[in-house]
Amino acid sequence: MIFTVFKKELRDTLRDRRTVMMMIVIPTLVFPLIMSVFMSVSESFQKAAAEKKVKIGLVSNQAGSLEADLLKVPDALGKKEFIPFTDTLALVKAIRSDSIQVGIYIPNNAEQLKKAMKPIAVTVFHDGTDLGMKDRADAYLSYIQENWKKQRYSELKIDEAKVTPLVMNYSNVASSKEMIGKLAGGFLPYLFIAFGFMGCMFPAIDLFTGEKERSTIETLLTTPVPRWKILFGKMGVVVLSGLLAATFNLLGIYLSIEVLDIVKDPIVLQAIKDILSPAFIVMLYALLCPLIIFFAGIMIPIAVRAKSFKEAQSIISPLNLLIILPAMVGFFPGIELNEVTALIPVVNIVLATKELIAGTLEWHLVAISFGVMVLLAVTAILFSYRKFENENNVIS
Amino acid sequence: MIQVSNLSKSFSLNRQQKKELGTTQNAVLAVDNISFECMPGRVHALLGPNGAGKTTTLRMLSTIFKPSKGSILINNIDAVANPQEARRHIGFLTGSAGLYARLTPNELISYFGELYSVSKNDIELRKKRLYDLLDMHDFQNKRIGKLSTGMKQKVSICRTMIHDPQVVIFDEPTSGLDVITAENIIQLIRDCKNQGKTVIFSSHIMGEVDLLCDDITIIHKGKVLYNDTMEAFRAQQQAPNLTAEFIRIVHDQKPELA
Repeated sequence: MIFTVFKKELRDTLRDRRTVMMMIVIPTLVFPLIMSVFMSVSESFQKAAAEKKVKIGLVSNQAGSLEADLLKVPDALGKKEFIPFTDTLALVKAIRSDSIQVGIYIPNNAEQLKKAMKPIAVTVFHDGTDLGMKDRADAYLSYIQENWKKQRYSELKIDEAKVTPLVMNYSNVASSKEMIGKLAGGFLPYLFIAFGFMGCMFPAIDLFTGEKERSTIETLLTTPVPRWKILFGKMGVVVLSGLLAATFNLLGIYLSIEVLDIVKDPIVLQAIKDILSPAFIVMLYALLCPLIIFFAGIMIPIAVRAKSFKEAQSIISPLNLLIILPAMVGFFPGIELNEVTALIPVVNIVLATKELIAGTLEWHLVAISFGVMVLLAVTAILFSYRKFENENNVIS
Repeated sequence: MIQVSNLSKSFSLNRQQKKELGTTQNAVLAVDNISFECMPGRVHALLGPNGAGKTTTLRMLSTIFKPSKGSILINNIDAVANPQEARRHIGFLTGSAGLYARLTPNELISYFGELYSVSKNDIELRKKRLYDLLDMHDFQNKRIGKLSTGMKQKVSICRTMIHDPQVVIFDEPTSGLDVITAENIIQLIRDCKNQGKTVIFSSHIMGEVDLLCDDITIIHKGKVLYNDTMEAFRAQQQAPNLTAEFIRIVHDQKPELA
């Protein structure tokens, strides 16, 4: 009978446009859409920034070699146009009014200092809110700095290697998989939890509060099916909806990687593909199942008690925040799964998933996390059962 | 048959409900120690003004509500101790009950047939018979949400009768229906009676009661005011018509008017 109720509720749910939107359409499309918009916007901004001709105000009282070299900086480092200024006050005013983007002040004795092989203190004026402009000026001046250094080494007959006592080589011992897992691994469980919750919400309200509102529950309760079987059949659909929403979200991420080509680095791309192995997906679902049952178990008593769809939605929606906030713990690189964090619901699943992605999972901690979530899921089911058994809650 | 003995039902009140009802009591007694019997092949009317306790009584008979006190026997099955078994014998139809709008009549009726453990073969046979009887073939595969009120009522009848119940409970079944649609229900009640089923129904329409009923129970404020056959009711009648007689009984028995 549980399966009979489940089949009917699933059919009914899949015919509800609002639920299908929340369960399939949005989770599948949200990531590719956000990524494609983000990528096209970011690419167009980068292109525009690279092509932008930066107007540079120059305060200099002589036509020295620094001024001449600045004019010779290749356009490959960004197009530019130099505009002479007589004083720094006018220069600052022009930057503020955005008629120029950067100002460079070259001291009067620059040429003498260069000849004396002494450092020239060049001042760069910029607007900190105009991102990228300081970097442009820095790139031009660094280009000159490198050329002049080489000239000086040559003039002084110094071997550059002799004045370079240390050459640093960095070798990352963490695998790409670990890097992704530890640094970005929080993203995946966060999305799973957020969409799992969203996926459960509408079916939970529709199958319980909706039945009350539409007065269909009364006829269902006059059938010889025990209430716990009706509850389990309905709960099965709520849990499945949550898992489907999370799955379609995963599919959306996969499509973004495959179709939109968002990951350019082939090593990282291979690492992501290695992570998304069947064994990983099975393990991920094993961790998520009790969590989604727990979500269903906290939503159902609210939906059973609520008198209207609006009332149920107004109570369940803020709960989303309570779930999302602990799920965000996964974004902080320092927090790891240990004997304490394994006891905190939601946080434990997020951290366990991170460790799972990184391949650094400690099984006893997974067992604790899983045990905590199973215990909570069972408690939530019992609580739902008590509420559903209460005739005052079920019949309005 | 239905045997109701010393049946009571009280509902506990939460703070908001107490405020709404303007009472300090923790519970309200909706049905107070009522007893009556409904016999097979007879139609029993349960009458009373709004808030008398009719729906609560019928909900207890259909095992949706558990009585606070008393007993209910449905075809000799103790419906309080063994509600699931009793439900197999009951068909319940209310005027206010909704239908699953996203299912088709075919899907809905099969679903309820399965819930009553009717075999697939029997479901198909009974569906065909009921569709013929109610002229439902044209809309059996349309979504219920797109059907007219009359069509929906026919679907409700099918749902109620798919497991061929021996006891049929109707709670204001014609409420809000046009005369043509209401006639389907009246015909169904007649058919149930002719087939020897036990029928109990509540209604505010005295014409229907006069037309259909063999026995009558009037309740008011949760208590039985009158319980006898329609024949006896007519014989003792003091007012010029049934409606006036019903009002007279309710008014005479009102403690505050007595």
